[in-house]
Amino acid sequence: MPPSDELAKLTIFGALAGIAALAAVGVVVSPNAVRSALCLIANFFALAFLYFTLNAELLGITQVIVYTGAIMVLFLFVIMLLNLGAAHLLREPPDLLKKAIGILLGLVLFGMIGSQVLRPLATITATTSPDDYGSPQAVGRALFTTYVWPFEVASVLLLIGIVGSIMLAKRKI
Amino acid sequence: MVPLGAYVGLGLFMFTMGMIGVMIRRNPIVIFMCIELMLNAVNLTFLAFARYGPVTPAKAVVGTIPHNVLQTAMSGQVIVIFVMAVAAAEVAVGLGIIMAIFRLRQSIDIDEMSLLRG
Amino acid sequence: MGSSTNSLIWIILGLPLAGSLIQALFGKRVIDSMGVAKGRRVMGTLAVLPIAIAFVLGVIVTLALSNLAPEARSQIVTLCDWIHIQTLNVPFETLIDPLSMTMVLVITGVGALIHLYATGYMGEEQDYSRFFTYLNLFISCMLILVLANNLVLMFIGWEGVGLCSYLLIAFWYKDVANAKAGNKAFIVNRIGDWGLTLGMFLIFSFYATHAGEFGAPKDGRWLSYDYILPAATKLILYPDTATAIALLLFIGACGKSAQFPLYFWLPDAMAGPTPVSALIHAATMVTAGVFMVNRMHVFYELSPFASAVVCCIGAFTALFAALIAFGQTDIKKVLAYSTVSQLGFMFVACGAGAYWAGMFHVVTHAFFKACLFLGSGAVIYAMAHNQDMRNYGNLYKYLKITAWTMLIATLAIAGFPGLSGFWSKEAILGAAIGNQHAIAQGINLGMISGYVALFVAMLTAWYMARLAMLTFFGKQERWRQIHPHHESHAHHAAHEHAHTHHGEDVFGFYYTEEEMARRAADTPAEHHHELDLNHEPHEVPPSMWWPLVILAALSAVGGFLLHNNEAFRNWLYPEGKLAVLTQSVVPGEASNIPLTLYSIIAALGGLTIGYLVYRKGLPKKEGWDLNKWSPFRKWAGNQFGYDAAVVNSGVEGGGEIGTGIWKILDVGLVDGIVNGIGAVAMGAGRTLRKMQTGYVRNYAMSMTFGGILILAIVISVFMAGAK
Repeated sequence: MPPSDELAKLTIFGALAGIAALAAVGVVVSPNAVRSALCLIANFFALAFLYFTLNAELLGITQVIVYTGAIMVLFLFVIMLLNLGAAHLLREPPDLLKKAIGILLGLVLFGMIGSQVLRPLATITATTSPDDYGSPQAVGRALFTTYVWPFEVASVLLLIGIVGSIMLAKRKI
Repeated sequence: MVPLGAYVGLGLFMFTMGMIGVMIRRNPIVIFMCIELMLNAVNLTFLAFARYGPVTPAKAVVGTIPHNVLQTAMSGQVIVIFVMAVAAAEVAVGLGIIMAIFRLRQSIDIDEMSLLRG
Repeated sequence: MGSSTNSLIWIILGLPLAGSLIQALFGKRVIDSMGVAKGRRVMGTLAVLPIAIAFVLGVIVTLALSNLAPEARSQIVTLCDWIHIQTLNVPFETLIDPLSMTMVLVITGVGALIHLYATGYMGEEQDYSRFFTYLNLFISCMLILVLANNLVLMFIGWEGVGLCSYLLIAFWYKDVANAKAGNKAFIVNRIGDWGLTLGMFLIFSFYATHAGEFGAPKDGRWLSYDYILPAATKLILYPDTATAIALLLFIGACGKSAQFPLYFWLPDAMAGPTPVSALIHAATMVTAGVFMVNRMHVFYELSPFASAVVCCIGAFTALFAALIAFGQTDIKKVLAYSTVSQLGFMFVACGAGAYWAGMFHVVTHAFFKACLFLGSGAVIYAMAHNQDMRNYGNLYKYLKITAWTMLIATLAIAGFPGLSGFWSKEAILGAAIGNQHAIAQGINLGMISGYVALFVAMLTAWYMARLAMLTFFGKQERWRQIHPHHESHAHHAAHEHAHTHHGEDVFGFYYTEEEMARRAADTPAEHHHELDLNHEPHEVPPSMWWPLVILAALSAVGGFLLHNNEAFRNWLYPEGKLAVLTQSVVPGEASNIPLTLYSIIAALGGLTIGYLVYRKGLPKKEGWDLNKWSPFRKWAGNQFGYDAAVVNSGVEGGGEIGTGIWKILDVGLVDGIVNGIGAVAMGAGRTLRKMQTGYVRNYAMSMTFGGILILAIVISVFMAGAK
């Protein structure tokens, strides 16, 4: 692989990873819920592009459509509804002790898993999967042959989700 | 090429941030979003491994098992699809719950939802 | 003796039992259907008849037995197999021999007379047929006791008479005091039974383990007398075992025959109706101990130590009870203590080795004591059920027959020369003082007991004279001083009638109005006629004075007839027979002229003192004002504090121990453990509950923390070498 190619790939990855990381921090840190949601959307976009770099094209598009397009929109709808009803409720009072413990635990977790995982995997750069493994044809073939049973079950799960959310939304059952 | 460790490291970072968010934030919607963050981190990790193939550690913990590379790749993606589907359903239901609670209590501070206190 | 005469014995045993069943099953129905008067006549006859017929049959069997040679007078009649376990065989078998037939005659003869008396005495009481059920049952149990040929059957009879004694003492059970007296009798008896059963066990186990030298019974009847008694001669090699057996059996006799320390149930047993006192606590049941010692006399012959113990306890009890009798004002209590005292005499005789003398006294005592009790019952009947002698006086004028019969009986018990008591006391004193059997540690305790008994004979004459003088003589008719409704002279203990409240009865049961009305209608008209100054005593009906006359006649001449030419002694213990140890013969009495003189002096002296002290009526020092009583008399009248001490320590003490154990073990330990487990669980729950804060973020944090921990463990343990 020509070195410039490598460099390009690394740069792209670095940029996307940076955006994703910053957005993740933004989700957690920003006091305003809308800002958190927007940061999350940025994160999802960055992730979608990362999926593209991994040759998982179908999943990348699905990420954009499903996650950012549907789920985050839903989040924003709810936030807006609550904003209309009670703007002041979305502000949170500070709680330092819990914050400290939480950050500490998070750092410990990162350190523990990272120490085990990162160093061995840092040296692996060769991909072994076929390059079109992420194409719709390939994924579709797998989904409808090997994994058709979980696929059907997942559709039932979505049905349940629909019914459940309708039940929850009704004022009178 | 980008090392596998980079992708996994990013996934780990996002996961940790999501976890910290769950523990720190008091707005349930933001907590939900952090959970989504964690799920996405997992998705990323799955796909990274799907792409880079099965990784044998320097010293095998269990006896060497022959891995099917294609199987790894496809199963990694299929898991991600299902995670997305489940996350979608979960968000729908979860936000419905939050709406119902808000309707009932006019408050969404998670620290006030302590009816299950023993 | 043909087998037909032998099988008469089963009829003798079965008749009272059948009578009891008839009374139980049909009594109430007959009385209800025929009306009270006629029905009671019928049931009364049906009660007396079995006993009377049994007596007649007993006479026939005895005559047949006496026609046999002395060595053959031991007939065993078996009915059927009862317990047959491997090598142990205990059949229903009876032993017809002079000892048992003597007892049978006394039981059925005196018993029949007392039954006849009771038909009159209980004429106005409730539960007529229940009384005779128990009384007939008692006779049948007593017959089983005396006729049994093995220890187990005897024990059945032993327990049976204890049961009937309880049932009859507590006959008027509605009064709690009577029920308590019944309980006392039964429970104290039980203590004696403990000793008796231990003795029986010891006999069985000792014989069984030494079957090699004793020889095994050929048909496995280990507990039958015809195996135990002859084989006991081998116990001469084991004197300690013989002593142990003898003493254990004697504990049983103490309980049944009211010797110290187990005598204190007998005075309380006077709470029962007078016929019961006469039959059970004078003539028959209390003599079961003496009978048993006679049956098992072999063990006492082998153990001079045990015989000495028997003598001493007998003498001590005689003295003790005689002194207590001086402090009694209730006529039945005087007679009760007199019974205890006379039983002591019988045991002195048995301890001294003259077992026949003990039995002789049993027979004569049955005559005069029954006569005295029945006479006292007549006096009580005539004096509106008042039992206190301080209310009597000059009753000779009104109750001639009763007075004459009681006087003859009093002279008999005092030992007036020629009457029956004189002969039997002579035999006892002669044997005790003259024999060399009851020797312990080199001291002839038999002789000492004999002299004590001589002294007690004088005391007996004295207190019996006291009783006779206070009741029948003296010019003063003391009840004439009672004003109507004079409450301070009423005696609850003497009051023999039921006492029901309205609504709630003494045991806390609540009755409805209809039930109360029905019970009131059932009660016959009570003699609310209290004893007061207008009371005129009347002589008792013939059904009650005929037995008195017969018994008085027997008291007078019975002793002489039986003792003539040592007839009684040869009947029970013929010369040479039943000699256990080759060199000792069952000793008789030493014909000791000065001793006879001493005993006559004692008897006449006691009677004279009694006459002199009480001829003017009731002395002030024994009157109603207890402060004027001498302290010794008061202390004696209180049983020298013995009864109170035993009851306090035993009953209350037992209660305390029980409560203490309950508190420590049951409440403290068991409940503590059970409740403690519960408390621990609750405490743990209460502590652990604090983990449920209800805050989601806390749960998330703890989940994270837990996850980190598990990861740490996994990393350190499993992946230790992975790097």
